[in-house]
Formats: sequence, C-alpha cells, structure tokens
Amino acid sequence: MSIIDCNMWMGSGGAWGFVDTQASAAGVTMRQLNYEPEQVIEECQRAGIDRACVIPLRHPEYEAANRYVADQCARHPDRLIGIAVHSPQREQGSLKKLLTTEIQSMGMRAVRSDGPPTRELLDVARELGIPVIYYPEGRGVAQSYHMIASTYPDVTFILPHLGSYEGSWHLHMEALDLARRYPNVCIDTSAISVPPYLEMAVKEMPNERILFASCGPHLDARVAVESIRLLELPKKAHENVLGNNILRLLKM
Amino acid sequence: MSSPMNQKLPDNMPQPTHEPTRREFLWKTAAVTSGIAALTHLASAEKTPSGDRVPVIDCHVHCGIGQALQAPYSTENSPEHILRNMKQGGIDQCVIFPISNTTYEEANIAIAETCRRYPGKFIGFAKHDAVTEKFRIRSMLLREVRELGLRGYKSHAPQPTPEVLDVIAELKIPYLYHPRQVSDLVEVARAYPGIDFILAHLGSPQSRNPQEHLNGIAAAKRYPNIHIETSYCLETRYIEQAVRELPAEKILFGSDGPDTNNALEIFKIRMLKLPAEQEQLILGGNILRLLSKYRG
Repeated sequence: MSIIDCNMWMGSGGAWGFVDTQASAAGVTMRQLNYEPEQVIEECQRAGIDRACVIPLRHPEYEAANRYVADQCARHPDRLIGIAVHSPQREQGSLKKLLTTEIQSMGMRAVRSDGPPTRELLDVARELGIPVIYYPEGRGVAQSYHMIASTYPDVTFILPHLGSYEGSWHLHMEALDLARRYPNVCIDTSAISVPPYLEMAVKEMPNERILFASCGPHLDARVAVESIRLLELPKKAHENVLGNNILRLLKM
Repeated sequence: MSSPMNQKLPDNMPQPTHEPTRREFLWKTAAVTSGIAALTHLASAEKTPSGDRVPVIDCHVHCGIGQALQAPYSTENSPEHILRNMKQGGIDQCVIFPISNTTYEEANIAIAETCRRYPGKFIGFAKHDAVTEKFRIRSMLLREVRELGLRGYKSHAPQPTPEVLDVIAELKIPYLYHPRQVSDLVEVARAYPGIDFILAHLGSPQSRNPQEHLNGIAAAKRYPNIHIETSYCLETRYIEQAVRELPAEKILFGSDGPDTNNALEIFKIRMLKLPAEQEQLILGGNILRLLSKYRG
C-alpha cells in the first residue's frame, strides 16, 4: 500500500489555509513561507508517506511558481507529484495555454484555483480531465461550491480541509452536505483538528471521495497520518483514503 | 441521533457508583469530596500494575450541558463520552469543567457530582461568569472548592475580576485561562504572582494566530506563575518550540474536548519522543504538582 499525501506545500509564497480577513482588509501581507523540496521529502519520510502532491504557495506569478514545482518533481519523480496553481481572476485569458502546457508538457496532474473557479478554468480542466482543488475563502463552502459543482458535474473537485482550515464546525457540516449532494466533490483530510467531523465524513461519504492530506511540511504530517489511523477504517477503505483515491483521480 | 448522555457505558469501563440526590450529595457527602479525598483519588490513580507510573491527565475538557444550543462544543459533552475518548487516548484522568453557560452554580454542582460518580477519573474545576454572577462568586467558589471538592478554576475572556482572583489566590488553586490575547493573561499574572495560571491552547486555538503561540511561550519563560497548555494546537511546531525553550515543568497536556480527540491531542506530545521524565511531567506530573498546592 502506498501512502500519498494530496496536499503538501512547496516553494516560497503566501500561506494557504487560514485567512485573516481582518488583516487582509487592513492590507497586511499574508504569512510568507518557504519550503524546499528536501524539507517536503524529509517530512514525508518522517511520517511514512511515500509520495506527495506538491502545490506552490500563493504567488504573484503562478507561471514561474508552477515551473519551479514541476522542475522539482522532475528531479524527484518517485517522491513528488506536481499540482499547478492559477488565479482565474488575475490570469484571465491565459489559463488554457498555461495549464495545457503544465499538464501535457511539464507533467503536472491537477490544478488548484486561487480564487473562485471561472468557466474559463473549468472548461480547460474538463478538457484536460484533471481535478480542480478549490478552498473557498470568505463566502463559505455552500455559497462557493453549489454553482461550480452543479454546472460542471464531469469535473472532479477537491475541497481541502473538509471545508475549514480554521476548524469551523458549520463549514465542516456544509462540506459534508455538499459532498452528499454532488458525487463530483471530494474532500481532503488536512488540518482537521476536530476528528468528529472526519468520523462523520467516513460514515456519511463513500470512502472513495476522501483523500488523505497533511498541509506538510507546514503542518506535521505525522499528526495527519495518525488522524486517519485513529478512524480504524476497514483495510480497503483505509488504503483508498491514504493513497488509492488520489492515484485514481490523477490517473496514475 | 441518540444523545451521548444517554448511551450505556461499555462494561469494561468504570461504571458509575450509586447516584445520590443532589441534596444528599451536597450536604451529606461533603467530606468525601473534600480536598483530602480528591487527592486520595489522584494518588490511587498513580498505583498501576506497572508500579509508580504518573497518571496521564488531560487538563482541558468541557463537560455537561449548555443551554444555548449554538455550537457542538457548547452544547453537550457527557462523562460517558469523555470516558470512551479517554480509553482510546490512554488517558487516566481528565480535568473537567462546565460547558459555557450564563451562570455556573448548577453546572459546577453537576461537575462535582460527575467527579464523585466516577472516582479517580475526573478532577473538577469550577467556572463562573464574572459579570452575571458578580458579587456572588467568592461565596460560591469557596463552597465549590471546600465543600464540593472542585480543585481549580477555568474561564474564557473577559478578564477575571479581583473578586475571582482574590479567592483563587486564597485557595491556591490553578487557573486555566483562555484569554482573548496573551497580553491579557500577562496583566493578571503580574498582578497575582501567587496564582498558577495555565494558558489554554498555547495562546491560540487551532493556531489561528501563531504570533500568540510565541507570545505565550515568551510569557511562560518570563513569569514563574504562567504555564502553557497544549490543546487544539494545529501548528505543532510551536509545541516543539515550547518544549525546547521552556522547562518541562511549565507545559501541561490538554485536549479541549468534546470537539477534539484526546487520542490525537496526546499523539502530538508522544510523537516528540521526549525523555520519560519530561513526558511524565507534561502528561500528568505538572497538573498534579499545581493541584497539590491547594490550601482549603
């Protein structure tokens, strides 16, 4: 069985996850991070993770950030799987060209949307047959996801953190409701400090749509692995969550 | 969905003892739940088949029923649910205190009853609202500690008033405090050097403001009466930093049940693979030391 982490962070840029809306409103720069590929690989080894999907941090120039990640993945093909990031708002009009190159020529396997996904982004994702990772900020899960999940039923969406990096119980519940309604919505298990919602997810959702993730090396991947182990899933479901599901979605 | 309050406890868990009426409990068994008896429970929990192992104590668990029905963590957490979690996490004892309410007299009595029903499993802390219970807290807290056997105090923001702090200092009971910001804690800790303060969540639940973790560690470094508690810390690197920079005597393990899981929370300590002596202090020895200062 391979353990594949579907959400690890690499490169330099702004943190994903918790959004300090007050700080943003005040124009405060988001938290800047820098994770080298070696740190990602060390974190994987420490936690017993075989491979990691690596995502560039928030960046003003995603073309360059994606190229850096793709290069590192090419250096460590047995360890790292590249995920591209784009901002549908800032990069409007160039998404098809950029993403097609990144997927077809640079070996990246999925796209993360920094900002609400638009038809432009989702049309390209559908054409390329790749999953779209999107974590809504500010408007909440339900308001952000119903339109995209219903309009693009043939695109697979991955909702990180079971809908809430900051641990909001009502956003976790919205994510569970959303996943029940839309078979094309999967959730990842990163940054969940409130295991009861993860327990609800494995009871209420098909395990095929639950994907192990850690947000390492920013967060400790050992804790993320332990949070799955504590669920005491049947063997097949355990293996699906820890690796099979993301490999299937990425067609690997 | 069945309520966790109504679920039967598994046979392999400690079963509740005879449940007295509230009146019986309050007025006939006061001595049983007094300080000496409570510490006897602590001591008995230390005697395990493996010898003199220090008990593993989770020092942050909300228990009981909240009236507001606004969020899961402020609605309900039954002792039976806590006991099931303790079993999964390998926890010997939990510090329990009431879920958020507008007043706490009844809730504190319920906590004391729970401690008595499950001897050796729970250590009760009182909670009060410094605004809604103003001018009554001294008499209530004295009775809750001296007669009902509660052994500490827990509160969230707003800042505790001198009415609360004076009686805590007098009783020499630990104070688990979740302030709005670490600087609030520093302010009261400086004013009351005789009170042992425990900063909940290492200063920031779910690591929402990592700078507050750093502020918490700095405060614990500077003030002898400030300790930190580890629950609900998402960025566990700050627990590691606390362990590196603070004496182990300053760090206490907690889980912040019911929403968190003490098995996952204790993993965040165990994975550090600390020397046994340090780990024992963090997982139980420190809270026992603070509790032993009680002067009824």
